[in-house]
Amino acid sequence: MENEEKMMTGEESLSVITEMIYKTRVSITQSSFHLLFWGWLIFACSLSEFLIWKLTNWTNAWYVWLFVIPGVFVSLIYGFVKGKRERVFTYGTSIHVFTWLSFLVSSVIFFIVFPMESESVSKYMLLIAAMPLFISGVVLRFRPLMWGAGAFWVLALMAHFGGETVSGLAMPVAMVVGYLIPGYLLRKRGSHDTFQGA
Amino acid sequence: MTPFRELDPLLHSQLRLAIMSVLISVDSAGFSYLREKTEATAGNLSVQIGKLKDAGYISVSKSFGESYPQTMCSITDLGRKKFAEYVTALGDYLKI
Repeated sequence: MENEEKMMTGEESLSVITEMIYKTRVSITQSSFHLLFWGWLIFACSLSEFLIWKLTNWTNAWYVWLFVIPGVFVSLIYGFVKGKRERVFTYGTSIHVFTWLSFLVSSVIFFIVFPMESESVSKYMLLIAAMPLFISGVVLRFRPLMWGAGAFWVLALMAHFGGETVSGLAMPVAMVVGYLIPGYLLRKRGSHDTFQGA
Repeated sequence: MTPFRELDPLLHSQLRLAIMSVLISVDSAGFSYLREKTEATAGNLSVQIGKLKDAGYISVSKSFGESYPQTMCSITDLGRKKFAEYVTALGDYLKI
């Protein structure tokens, strides 16, 4: 595109607009990092807590959740560094980032205000986490995330009505279904394809 | 018969229209991203960005990221309006 003053026919103008909008595609690989990182971290924490609770007499199994604190910093630093390198920001990117940041704020408030109600944490967290997951699925136009959010809602109900064992296993199962499987699918797709406008 | 609306001469140029078409789709885009998508030379792209900026169609901000300066461009409300008018006029011209 060297001749900047070249006058175009109407068809050529339409062709330029169509071509440029089609070319404006954004990589989605960063989204898969956060899904996989948090998927594995929460999966490990929740399963460890469940196994400690079932197999030992230790009453402070919730200590495993302290690993989430450095996890928050790793995720924020990764997002910040990647964001600085980003050469383009779409409206979808902004919705995606701020939805997950609002989820982080809600989660922090939840844990600070309701720390003593830890026996019912998983069902509430699944309900809160389902929303950004579903919105991400819509923004990225990626159905496995939407199905994952659906699984979160179902598992939250199961955690509520299913008793302690079901409640204890709801979170690790949710991580596999809602974060890890969609995360690997997203990474696989992101390596050879991109989503327009996301 | 609807009178034919004249196409905005600022937008009716290949590279400037390409820049605006990219920016209409995104929140903001860096200089290198625009260069990659339009396949223009740095000098040429810089001149055309300057013309669009002077007309108020786009805004340009400079930041310092990872030890090198980064130029980010985004479309303004005026630019969005002019682009919409251009597309409408083009549609009239092409009868689509």
